[in-house]
Amino acid sequence: MSEPLDIVILGGGTAGWMAATALVSLIPPTRCRVRLVESEEIGIVGVGEATFPEIRNFNDAVGIDEAEMMRATKAAFKLGIQFVDWGFKGSNYIHPFGVHGPVGMDHIFHHRWLRARGLGSKREIQDYSFAALAARDCRFQLPETRSTALESAYTYAYHFDAGLYAVYLRVLAEQRGVVRTEGKVRDVIQDPETGNIRSLLLESGEAISGDLFIDCSGFRSLLLGKTLGVGWEDWSKWLPCDRAVAVPSERDELSPYTRSTAMEAGWRWRIPLQHRTGNGYVFSTGFIDEDEAAASLMRSLETKALAEPRMLKFQAGRRLVNWEKNCVAVGLAGGFLEPLESTSIYLIQVAIMQLVLLLPGKIVDPRLRDEFNRLIDLQYKRIRDFLILHYKLNRRDDAEIWRYAAAMDVPESLTRKIELFRHSAIIERYRDGLFPPTSWLSVFIGQGLIPERYSPLADTMPGDSLVSHLDAFHTDLVDRVEEMRRHDRFIDLYCGAELSAAPSATEMRL
Amino acid sequence: MTRRVQQVVVVGADAPAWMAAAALLRSVSGAGIRVRVIELPTLLHPADAYSALPELAGFHHRIGLDEDLLFSLCKAVPVAGRRFSNWSGATPPFIHGYDRAPPPAAGLGFTQLWIKGRQRGLRTDFENFSLASVAAKAGRVPAAPKVADLHAAFGYNLDAGAYSALLRHLTMRGGVESTAATIADVEIEGDRVVTVTLDDGERVEADLFVDASGPRAALIGRMPGADLESWRGWLPCDRVLVASARGLKPLPAFSQISAFRHGWTGLFPLQGRTAVIAAYDSRETSDQAVLDDLPALANMSIAGDAVVSDLSQAIRRRAWVGNCVAIGDSAFSLEPLDGAQLHIVHYCISQLMTLFPVEADAFPEAELYDRIIRRLAVNLRDFQVAHYKLNRRFDMPFWDRCRDAPVPETLQRKLDLFAARGRVPLNDDEIFQEQDWESLFIGHGLMPQSYDPRVDAIPEQEHIAQVQARLNDIVGLVEGMAPVDDFIAGVNSEQAADVKALG
Repeated sequence: MSEPLDIVILGGGTAGWMAATALVSLIPPTRCRVRLVESEEIGIVGVGEATFPEIRNFNDAVGIDEAEMMRATKAAFKLGIQFVDWGFKGSNYIHPFGVHGPVGMDHIFHHRWLRARGLGSKREIQDYSFAALAARDCRFQLPETRSTALESAYTYAYHFDAGLYAVYLRVLAEQRGVVRTEGKVRDVIQDPETGNIRSLLLESGEAISGDLFIDCSGFRSLLLGKTLGVGWEDWSKWLPCDRAVAVPSERDELSPYTRSTAMEAGWRWRIPLQHRTGNGYVFSTGFIDEDEAAASLMRSLETKALAEPRMLKFQAGRRLVNWEKNCVAVGLAGGFLEPLESTSIYLIQVAIMQLVLLLPGKIVDPRLRDEFNRLIDLQYKRIRDFLILHYKLNRRDDAEIWRYAAAMDVPESLTRKIELFRHSAIIERYRDGLFPPTSWLSVFIGQGLIPERYSPLADTMPGDSLVSHLDAFHTDLVDRVEEMRRHDRFIDLYCGAELSAAPSATEMRL
Repeated sequence: MTRRVQQVVVVGADAPAWMAAAALLRSVSGAGIRVRVIELPTLLHPADAYSALPELAGFHHRIGLDEDLLFSLCKAVPVAGRRFSNWSGATPPFIHGYDRAPPPAAGLGFTQLWIKGRQRGLRTDFENFSLASVAAKAGRVPAAPKVADLHAAFGYNLDAGAYSALLRHLTMRGGVESTAATIADVEIEGDRVVTVTLDDGERVEADLFVDASGPRAALIGRMPGADLESWRGWLPCDRVLVASARGLKPLPAFSQISAFRHGWTGLFPLQGRTAVIAAYDSRETSDQAVLDDLPALANMSIAGDAVVSDLSQAIRRRAWVGNCVAIGDSAFSLEPLDGAQLHIVHYCISQLMTLFPVEADAFPEAELYDRIIRRLAVNLRDFQVAHYKLNRRFDMPFWDRCRDAPVPETLQRKLDLFAARGRVPLNDDEIFQEQDWESLFIGHGLMPQSYDPRVDAIPEQEHIAQVQARLNDIVGLVEGMAPVDDFIAGVNSEQAADVKALG
């Protein structure tokens, strides 16, 4: 048996501690030893207080107890994202974590809905989404696991304090054997021949050597970008926002969804947690200056601010590869996409889980590296296109950024998708990467792109029975939603930060 | 105002045409769309067989076909896989079993456990962990209505003429209008088929034409931009010989594909006869030489019904042009090496239904259909190329060339990752899934150099126990399965009883 792989993680934010936890939990110590270097002097960005449902797979894989984690991170549930004023001022829709219509019918349901609409039905597409209805009504219950049940039609994610999540993971990772070193990197030592990273030289004089380095240094991209010189691809012509200003405010209504409100030069998030509400304004300095944006955010708060606003700088894009030589970037060191669809932690998670699957030996096998890079690139591009879609489809004429976005050229792959949906209500499916057809559907329709036609396959049922079918389905959903607990009440019972022990998950199902 | 599609005309013959018509009948005739078939002369010979994957059951279910009829009317034999022999001088034959899911194990995939086991001296071959392969070897049919989730299924060997006739009968009974004819002329304006003139002078018009005419591509072959791109550079065989031999007793639960000096031969057991195929490279050998050698290669005497035809390995650059959609081997054709022919037809039809044109005057759906069909074709082509690439018949010029030739980049990626880590990076629109590729790669001797590091988190005793449990499970499951002959007799006697009960 060969010596275990020495893995060095640089940076201890969400990305660093997620990577450390996964590696130490999934791979036995005979195969790898994990060290993490971080400095308390360097702040963390703490990206993504809002998450995507896939995070549950991560937590399950590394053995995290949901209720305990939620208590520790002051978390709440999330059933989707509400978009306010995106289509036009006064409009709003929910992108739900779940299908529209009955389970297993998503290839045809929206065609039927379009037909019913033509026959005079006034209901919106989200009136047929369990997740959207429950979210609107601020209700929550754990979904059924039987795949045929109506209650399996939705899934969920969390709103949590990402800083506390990192702390929670740090405790777990250290318990399981990750060695943490406090310190700042003074220099990175490379092998003169291969260019591989050999060690991190800390300001204390200590040298931390390793076989594989995971760059979680955030926007600085100290290893992948700075040391190895991997180039950056700028996507800001499609996603022009380059700043976010964030501020917490007092707890507000605990709605089980993220809210994104389109603003005069970007958009504003609202993320309800157990102990506070997270707020932020993502904007473009091409359209508003920093002070004005911060003032605008403060004016928009619904509850009292708990701190001074904090400004973050970024650019949409990603490193050309996320794995170069013996260095893998995870999180912001590898790329950035604005948190419009809460994908930052998802991208961290995908990189980590792929790395586990493709973990190299002491000498990097290029075949493993290439597969990693291919998959990560695909993930970035698919999310990118979906984010651009929100901007491209806006129908606001009241601010420069929105006029720019509506007129901009978008990647050809996206243009094709939009045009095919407009003409035929068809949405292409893909195997790898986020966003199933139901997500695309909610944004298309939510932002006012109503297809001109629908599939003849939706014409097989007489019109009046179709309409009454849909009505009955909607009524059924509404009845079931009414049986659910209020979200805030559910949180108190399941994972209230004051609770010491939670009831079991089975008790909490409907 | 949008003009909707009112009339669909399927042009073609044999199973593909009737599959398309049956599916259209089920899916769109309820919406008031008329379906008509222009039935071209058959391309089948009496010796022809269809060898189909288990997925065909999904199609039968969709069109409401009672599968018992296959056994009483179409000489059907249920097969659990394909046995590949003589592809290597060194390794024994292997079976590509029709498992429907990778074997369950520890969330990592059983294959990863097996790779580590192999590195530590496990002697049991990979195929012994495949339920379908073990069933195939035991001559048993992986169908047991009493066992809920079998993870394996059977495919079908069918008499091609009888199966086509059955589909035709059911479709006609469902109310589809059909005209037997040949095509005298096709009038095309821009990218639109305006009229198809039949040999009796009738001019047929339609909003949508479905070309199910096979490699002759009666309509799509005339459409602008739909010329053929040859794949012969990747797949060397260009001739195929089909003949019959006597029926096998007892019936095996697999088809057999054996490599020979200039190509491969296939034995497809049917009730009462065996369909024999030889595919080969005409640059290497002659039709007569193959026919002469066939009894020795097949180890059976061959009936006098042998027919030879060209084998085209090619794809249309566009499969849907204007109001003309090609399905099955009108869109692309490959060797009958992996039994995917009818599944391709089924897949194309499913895509056509999902992308069914919403109006009769513009077809933006075509672009997506083209991309999907091309992905499907490339994935399948790669599966076939892998057989040739991984051969280990040394010192035979044909096989040496196949082994040394570069493969498409899409396949190289799969080979590389599998060799490195035992993972198969699947693309969109794959007919064959992870377990199929694994079976193919390992069967041909491609052994992964490393495995998922998480496997090492499983204690050795538990690892051994899991491997043993898998073997025991399979043995138990296979014992409960019926031998092929019993299975067929059971279906046929039940059916006879049903007919009797009906009086």
